[in-house]
Amino acid sequence: MSKTYKMIVCGVGGQGILTITDIIVIAARKKGLHVLGSEVHGMAQKGGSVVTNLKIGEKLHSPTNPIGTCEVLVGLEQNESLRYMKFLKPRGIAITSNTVLFPISWKKDKKAADNAKEKIEENITKFDVKLVMIKAENLAIEAGLALTQNIVLLGALSQVEEFPLTEDELRDALKQRVPAKYVEQNLKAFELGIKTVKNL
Amino acid sequence: MVKLEELFANEENRVLCLGNEAIARGAIEAGVQLFAAYPGTPSSEASTAIIAASKKLGFYAEWSTNEKVAFETAYAASISGARAMTACKHVGINVLADALYSAAYMGTKGGFVLLVGDDPHCFSSQNEQDSRWLGVSAQVPVLEPSNPQEAKEFTKLAFEISEKFESILVVRSTTRISHARSDVQFDKYETSFREGDFEKSNRYKCLPALARANHPKLVSKMETIKEWISESGLSVIEGQNDTEYGIITSGISYAYVKDALEILDKDVPVLKLGMVAPLDEKSILEFARDKKNIIFIEEVDPYLEDRISALFIQNGIVPKIHGKCTGITKKYHELNSRLVAEALQSVIGGKLASVGEIQKAEEEITDFIPFRPPLFCPGCQHRAAFWELSKVVRKNKGIFASDIGCYSLDPWVTDTILCMGAGISMANGFSRVIKDKPIFAYIGDSTFFHTGLTALANAVYHKANINVLVLDNRMTAMTGFQPNPTEVIDIADVAKSLGVEYVVEFDPYDFENGKKIFEDALQHEGPTVIIMRKICANEWWRQQRRSGQKIEVYHIDPETCIACGTCIVQYQCPAIYWSIDTNSKGKKYSVIDPSICTGCSVCSQICPVEAISKAVDTDE
Repeated sequence: MSKTYKMIVCGVGGQGILTITDIIVIAARKKGLHVLGSEVHGMAQKGGSVVTNLKIGEKLHSPTNPIGTCEVLVGLEQNESLRYMKFLKPRGIAITSNTVLFPISWKKDKKAADNAKEKIEENITKFDVKLVMIKAENLAIEAGLALTQNIVLLGALSQVEEFPLTEDELRDALKQRVPAKYVEQNLKAFELGIKTVKNL
Repeated sequence: MVKLEELFANEENRVLCLGNEAIARGAIEAGVQLFAAYPGTPSSEASTAIIAASKKLGFYAEWSTNEKVAFETAYAASISGARAMTACKHVGINVLADALYSAAYMGTKGGFVLLVGDDPHCFSSQNEQDSRWLGVSAQVPVLEPSNPQEAKEFTKLAFEISEKFESILVVRSTTRISHARSDVQFDKYETSFREGDFEKSNRYKCLPALARANHPKLVSKMETIKEWISESGLSVIEGQNDTEYGIITSGISYAYVKDALEILDKDVPVLKLGMVAPLDEKSILEFARDKKNIIFIEEVDPYLEDRISALFIQNGIVPKIHGKCTGITKKYHELNSRLVAEALQSVIGGKLASVGEIQKAEEEITDFIPFRPPLFCPGCQHRAAFWELSKVVRKNKGIFASDIGCYSLDPWVTDTILCMGAGISMANGFSRVIKDKPIFAYIGDSTFFHTGLTALANAVYHKANINVLVLDNRMTAMTGFQPNPTEVIDIADVAKSLGVEYVVEFDPYDFENGKKIFEDALQHEGPTVIIMRKICANEWWRQQRRSGQKIEVYHIDPETCIACGTCIVQYQCPAIYWSIDTNSKGKKYSVIDPSICTGCSVCSQICPVEAISKAVDTDE
């Protein structure tokens, strides 16, 4: 591949954002592609907004993707997907979980969560992007492990046209990365992610 | 994170790792023999990796109590002929500066490397201090890598340069290098460690007469290094020769320049400096002499721009300067390839796609996007301690001087946060001029041993009427749960032996007791030390999960809950949120997320209607 593939993964600290990034970079390396990513550690502990940048390709220089440049956004939480939507290029693909996690600024408004879901989608449509909304939490529970929501989204990502890694390559990397005792549930979550997108 | 075995495996291999881990590998390949550091984002993972590897490779490494202690420990090893290294974040430089400035005069023997992680954009820091100036103010050479691979190579090279010139070598990284993840080529290395031997000499005494003699030697050493750089290959010129424009850059900014030129589809010559102090004057002048315009691309301070502009004047060349002085980049925050493309476009032209539509959409949604700052973790004892304290502080209109650590996230009572260890000293100062209010200082265990000890001794000596609250969560939690002296030194014993008369300890989850203790302490004249000791809830939770232990979570009865918000709005536990559905009275209620509840019990203690209790076992 000659073009650099740019993407971001976002969500709330603790949702398994670095795990997705890890699986992608492991698969890319196996394929002989260069990868360059950027993470923020330290203050972004559990519960904070977390984003990682990823570039896959041959000539890689800076580790971050500025606004309007990414092919794909993978978002584990709707508010966070919206927050980082600006990084997608026009008609880029936003794969986002429909999960909404309670942010501190909603503490005072008992109905904030009820009102938010509709409004988030409405706000996403202000961006010229292709939105793929996935019920990741339900699918993860179906897979047998609620913590595999990230892997459901990874399954969906594998179906994106022009994404430089195949289903099989990601599956192999996944097996290598997740804890041995949870491989089965993770593989199932991955398949459910693929299936959902195919059925879209 | 890279696997430890992979990090030090003595073989050629291409390994995916963080910039910081690449730096660690560089140190290992260089045969570092003593490593000492105090953690600080974005430098910590380099130290973690080297310290972990030290046990396997058989060299000495430690987490020191502060950056100055770490620097001095490593410096002694260096002047005994061993390769030594220390690492810190940019503000850690301020702590070790006392040793650094004089050690620069005295020079080194075994290679000595100081890794500093700068944090443009303040991702995890209190300022954007630019460490490149050390090259001028402390007169030490500074290397600046532009990607993780170079970070590894430059670290290795730094030991060699240090030994060649008997000089301290600074390797300056930034967050985007340290926390970049990429595939890095590892090389084979040799593990023969040298036996240290100290050669007695006046060189290592910074007495005035000796320092006076050492300074000219240092100046001349920097001149020698300056002459050497142009032959070192550290300065690289890329792009077609052109008499119109030239770009001078270094570090991560170089990566942005490369991307920006690709975006703009322009070929402009670039001079990339691998060493930013001393400046490679020969290469810079050769590069700039025939050019009409010189563009400087760098983050934060106009370091290269100001110094190289002066160099141009001294050498009678007068290109037009573009940079911070013309406002094409800002003197604050980090850059990215878009910002650099915009900056370059304003000078050299070129195509740049508009992001107007995206910016318009972004403006429309800004107010809607919820604020999600980092918070105290569920079960955090800081949250419990601050909650209880806030009552006492507010009631008594107290002044609250906090410190650097997780507890900096307090949403209720903190009045000041300045730097490591400042809480106790500032409380002392407040107590001298504010007579009618109680004065509190708050400090964690790691910060206590870092710079709190000296401030406490001062407070005892001068009989400061302050209340020092130490939250001992058994580790340096904020930077990644590093160990510190609290493992073996009892802070209560320290306070008592320093002469503090009022020293008490209690469990921060025990509210009733805490309240009494705080009120009681306020009646005491002179400094009090109140220690709240409990292992970091986050680490405890992880340990429980890892060992398969069950966590007894709490549950809220929807029918009893009156939705008063005490647990959500006031206590702000991240594990509690408003229900989506309603109870039989048609009212919303609070819900605990059992997947993140640590079972600390605090919410059950503060609930005014006793709606919260231990959950009935519904696990699995």
